[in-house]
Amino acid sequence: MTKTHQRKRLPAHRNPIQALLGLLLAWTVACPGLLVAAERTLTVTMRLDESEWRVMRAEILPRFEKECQCTVVPRDVPPEQLAQLLQAMARAGRMEIDVFAQDNMRLLELVSIGVVQDLSAYESRIAPQVSKVLLETGRIQGRLYFFPYRPNVQIAYYNAQRFERYGLSPPGTWEELLHVARVFKEKEGVGRVLFQAWGGAPTVTQVYEWITSAGGDPLVLTHPGTVKTFRFLQELWPYLSPDSRQAKWDTTNQFLAQESAYLAQNWPFGVRLLIQEYGKTAIKTYSGWAGPARKAHVIGGEVLGIPVGTPNVPLALDFLRFMQSKGIQELLTVRLGWPSLRTDAHGRVEAWMRPYFKAVTEALTHGIVRKNLPYWPEYEKLVNEAFVRTVVRGEAVEGTLHALQARLERVQGRY
Amino acid sequence: MPFRLGWRGFRGAIDVLFLAPLTLYILGLTLWPVLSTMALSFQDRRSGSFPTLANYQAVVEHFEFWDALYNTLFISVVGLSLELCLGLVMALCLSVPFRGRGVARALMLIPLGVPTIVSAANMRYIFGTVGYLNETLHQLGLLEIPIDWTSGGARTLMAVVAADLWKVTPLVMLILLAGLESIPGELYEAAVTDGAGAWQRFRYVTLPLLKPAITAALIIRGIDAFRIFALPLTLVGRSTPVLSTYTYFEYVDYQNPYTSAASATILLVMILATTIAYLQIAGTEEVIS
Amino acid sequence: MRPLTYLAMSAMAAFLLIPVYLMVKISISVPGEVFTQHPTLLIHDVTLDHWRQIVTGGMLWPPLKKSLTVATATALLALALSAPAAYVIARMPRGWKYTTLLILFFTRMFPEVGIALPMAIRFIEWGLFDTNLGLTLAHLVRTLPITAWILVGSFEAIPREIEEAAGVDGAGHGRTLLRVILPLALPGLTVAALFAWLLSWEEFTFAVYLSLASRTLPLQVYYYVYQGNWFLTATYTTIITIPVLILTYALQRYLKAGTLAGAIK
Repeated sequence: MTKTHQRKRLPAHRNPIQALLGLLLAWTVACPGLLVAAERTLTVTMRLDESEWRVMRAEILPRFEKECQCTVVPRDVPPEQLAQLLQAMARAGRMEIDVFAQDNMRLLELVSIGVVQDLSAYESRIAPQVSKVLLETGRIQGRLYFFPYRPNVQIAYYNAQRFERYGLSPPGTWEELLHVARVFKEKEGVGRVLFQAWGGAPTVTQVYEWITSAGGDPLVLTHPGTVKTFRFLQELWPYLSPDSRQAKWDTTNQFLAQESAYLAQNWPFGVRLLIQEYGKTAIKTYSGWAGPARKAHVIGGEVLGIPVGTPNVPLALDFLRFMQSKGIQELLTVRLGWPSLRTDAHGRVEAWMRPYFKAVTEALTHGIVRKNLPYWPEYEKLVNEAFVRTVVRGEAVEGTLHALQARLERVQGRY
Repeated sequence: MPFRLGWRGFRGAIDVLFLAPLTLYILGLTLWPVLSTMALSFQDRRSGSFPTLANYQAVVEHFEFWDALYNTLFISVVGLSLELCLGLVMALCLSVPFRGRGVARALMLIPLGVPTIVSAANMRYIFGTVGYLNETLHQLGLLEIPIDWTSGGARTLMAVVAADLWKVTPLVMLILLAGLESIPGELYEAAVTDGAGAWQRFRYVTLPLLKPAITAALIIRGIDAFRIFALPLTLVGRSTPVLSTYTYFEYVDYQNPYTSAASATILLVMILATTIAYLQIAGTEEVIS
Repeated sequence: MRPLTYLAMSAMAAFLLIPVYLMVKISISVPGEVFTQHPTLLIHDVTLDHWRQIVTGGMLWPPLKKSLTVATATALLALALSAPAAYVIARMPRGWKYTTLLILFFTRMFPEVGIALPMAIRFIEWGLFDTNLGLTLAHLVRTLPITAWILVGSFEAIPREIEEAAGVDGAGHGRTLLRVILPLALPGLTVAALFAWLLSWEEFTFAVYLSLASRTLPLQVYYYVYQGNWFLTATYTTIITIPVLILTYALQRYLKAGTLAGAIK
């Protein structure tokens, strides 16, 4: 290497660079000093949007801290990685999570790897006002592992200004949806109706809902209703927003905010973000459109569980009960617009939010609960493949679905 | 080189002791993981039997794998050619003195000082359907209907290439510039006295003498182009997988470490084969010095 | 020729600066200026809301602390592991040296997704998953070859005669190393440490495989990218970029092809 070059140059830069090294060393020395004082803490993981986190951290969790004389440490963990994290902590023998919230479609994997506590013994503590339908989502093979705390359902967002400009009204059926998508594409040259085609859970949830609303069985890819759904999606695809391929639950808000899309289905958490933070008051919501057979809305939402190995079980149980309590459920409704799981919680949502909340309650009346499948990740992968191949690439619907059905049956046979 | 224990000046135990930590680390935490990825790729997911080709079969049957393979090759080939050309032009511009050259050189360093994940995030602002590229084109009156840059297809691959160019061209430029500056000026003077024009000087003096630098740039960048990960993951997500992101999605989204290991192994073999083949042609010493 | 050069240079400058400009602009823009069908290219309304949200919202310190801790630990461990080896390699005859450096270079050919996968699986069993130590160990994989590379260069630059003279004066091996070689190599060691720090600070692949609940700053960026929240993304990216830019300029004299091979990604 260049010997002389280095010898000449290095000393000139010695001082500033060594000052930086000094800083490095100082940090190393200072860091271990930041030990946390020992006190009662409860670590809770959830996956919330930033605006939801703000309410949770500022208004909900402090109440519990006051009640239990402890500190709540909130952490954000995505649902698809929770199982891995819990397994890691369980194997390492240091369970650092006391309570977790999990998407109700991803419960079985937690049970099958044995990282959640069986809460059946505490079922009697659940208030009778908690909806029975929701309670059942936490029961697996006859044992109650999870406590519900948040029901959820997707609604349709639309940009009222843009709809008015072309004299359109929000679609109530598939035919109207196709018409609206066509009109936008013709008028603006680019599709403005968004479908969450990113892949994975967002796409599969939406496809599942549409298949059900067409009278199909989502678990049978060759069912006439399923075939009909994919046919319709294929027909609709050219008129959809090109951002669809980038759209999932989070990014859908961005495309609505940018007015890159004028109509999209999504969970209600976008309301606060779009209306309050981004000031997009032109965006309105309604419950959505019906399929050829019926109206169907997948009941999503989250349940709470307690991992095996946490030393704070009593405190964790207190937290579960706290989240289900009438006061908190009402507060969640008032501040976040979350529907309640209790029949007796009647939090009055803030005035600006009422029309949005109405869409949610209306959609919930058409709720459907998905089965907990042990092979859900494989199912997701196959539906995703079906979607990309038939809808995005335009391959023949029936042939593709038949081939994939054969693969699905092979997977089902293994369980 | 004759084989014997140690080298001239080998000091026995002390040298072994000094070399040990680094050697053990590389064996334990670089070589071992690579080998265990390979082992994993030949293991059956359910029965654990070994060896099996089931994972490779699953991978090649999966339609997105072929997309990923094609996309990786496209991005590598097109990206490498463009960044070499652009890097060479920039290096040639910067090798002659002019007022403001210092500023220009300082500007060149900016992309080097911006982490990959940051540049990928920035590119999302530019290539969004409602992004700044479309808006600029719109204001220039060149664009009526917004273009979707990131929803798949050749356009998306070009967007990834362009985004990658921003980050890595200055690196290529620096390597080539170092090469240019090592060419003695007398050679050009001699060429001028022989009556060579600008193009001939470039073709018969610069290019041959720049070959080591070009080789170095090609290999260094070629490897990284095959391994490209954070940029496509962030900029285009699942609409346009490359081999690295495909490997990642198999593991994280579908929780299948076995197929993930299989596609990682395929990627590794591709990189090794290409690099070794290239080194065979171009020689190794140039990369090191 | 001249005006053409300037034109090319200005075009280049714009190309290089615009993404960085947009990042800073978005981090201080009001949402209405960015989230509309026709976002403005110039800054009109300035707001510090996004910065305030991050700094006072309590979401900055944990990832910042993790990034700082891991980067610093990586830098120091990289020195401790690679400096002795580099010293020996620098004293090897040419053929040996090139072979060794070539082997170091070859480790860069392994795709990181392939290294990170078994690490993630094993680290879960060893209790290193999602910990600072685990991530530091992973970051050393990409930093060690580069620090070794840099250090071989700087040890080579120390003339052997100095060492031999110290030996003649009666100083033992250990004393020579500590009193003579180490001070002379200090600038090189510092540069290597800072490079290692940078590499760890901006690292993404290993971090995304080996962390979950405790995120580093680059992961925080990825997280906000997929929340579709441009403002918080821009703010976090600005925070990450500042130290990297400063260090890059401080280290620019040492940016040579050899180190560049891996140092800058």
